Amino acid sequence: MEWDWGFVADIMPTLLQGLKLTLIVTLLSAVVAAVLGLGFAIARRSANRNVARPVAFVVEFLRGTPLLVQLYFIFYVLPDAGILLPPLVAGVIGMGLHYATYTAEVYRAGIENVPKGQWEAARATNLTMRQTWVHVVIPQAVPPMIPALANYLIAMFKETPLLSAITVLELMNQAKSVANSSYRYIEPMTLVGAFFLAMSLVSVVILRWLERRYGRLGK
Amino acid sequence: MTEPIIRIDRLEKSFGALNVLDGLSFDVMPGEKLALIGPSGSGKTTILRILMTLETISGGHIEVCGEQLFHMQRGGREVPADEAHLHHMRRHIGMVFQHFNLFPHKSVLDNITLAPILTKGEPRAKAEARAMELLEMVGLADKAQAMPSQLSGGQKQRVAIARALALQPRIMLFDEVTSALDPELVEEVLLVMKRLAAETDMTMLLVTHEMGFAHEFADRVLFFDKGRVVEQGPPDTIFRQPTHERTQAFLRKIIAAGHRV
Repeated sequence: MEWDWGFVADIMPTLLQGLKLTLIVTLLSAVVAAVLGLGFAIARRSANRNVARPVAFVVEFLRGTPLLVQLYFIFYVLPDAGILLPPLVAGVIGMGLHYATYTAEVYRAGIENVPKGQWEAARATNLTMRQTWVHVVIPQAVPPMIPALANYLIAMFKETPLLSAITVLELMNQAKSVANSSYRYIEPMTLVGAFFLAMSLVSVVILRWLERRYGRLGK
Repeated sequence: MTEPIIRIDRLEKSFGALNVLDGLSFDVMPGEKLALIGPSGSGKTTILRILMTLETISGGHIEVCGEQLFHMQRGGREVPADEAHLHHMRRHIGMVFQHFNLFPHKSVLDNITLAPILTKGEPRAKAEARAMELLEMVGLADKAQAMPSQLSGGQKQRVAIARALALQPRIMLFDEVTSALDPELVEEVLLVMKRLAAETDMTMLLVTHEMGFAHEFADRVLFFDKGRVVEQGPPDTIFRQPTHERTQAFLRKIIAAGHRV
């Protein structure tokens, strides 16, 4: 088997298109995971057990089942119930929902890290619950969480090839399709690995910087 | 005759099996300066935390500014207060904590203006002008832009006092406000409180281990033991001629520990 630079040049535009979609899916899923995770974390802390219990159950359920199975359900099983989602939307929902259960844990740790005295000071100055969250708790809880959240962002990025299973044309899927039509696997798969490695190395540098800037949870 | 601003009536508070307050009753008149003293675990901090609605009650009644604190009327019946009622009642009360509890992510000025802007809808300019007046009063006008982490403990506590005052409560609660301070920083905080006591007609409740300060500051001293008021009276009486044996024992211990009374 020989490495063919001409073939590399041929498939590069297709792979770059896949890479672009991979990045888009990662970012959109990250937004879903970040927002939904905060919702899960706050709901699980609710004094109302009719809210906290079901949410806790859903979170444990989603964390306890594989992402690939969840993606199959969203894309191939939900249509039986009349819910038909485009691959990209299904992928973003699936990844976002799955990772929201992990970010929820990060948020929980971050929120519990805010001293009790801060809640009491907010109450003593007569802030409402909402104002306490928005102006006192979240601004203090979030900075120490940033490195942990960034870690999950990198993990999500590396899991995007799973979306090829539900026909999202991300990097892995593009590589598979050029490989299948040309019967050459070495160039496309090597390039996919190289792309992921390059992006991960950049992310690790950024992550280290975030850790220095914001510190770690529990420091 | 004026009505009491706070009426505490047969108040019960238990944490699990532990009865912290056991049928506690006392009244506070408007403008009165009260010092609550007693051994730790006697319930004196708990009563402040209950007045600030940081704790719930297990039984009894509290009336603040003529309204029930933990109860309200609904359909002619008395029911436990909801969050809206507690929010309404907390306007009357401010609190300064042992560990300051400043918001560390906000500047000194923002610590003071946050609540007036959010809870009273004050325009920022007005809130800031008042905050500056208050910082002037506590001697920290030059620290308005500083972050809490840049301040000493005494300075933090003076900012915390300004923050509580910014909401113009009728009742101020001081919970061991000098206990967490290095000895050389205690005086600056006490000075601010003395001025406050002299210059305002606010009602003040003070939990403290500084007997000398309690003597100077208070109109009335309540000695707490095991969740009840054992003895109360003017500071001169409580500190010079306590009648109850437990008060005498407590003061002896305090003096033996080297505190001046």
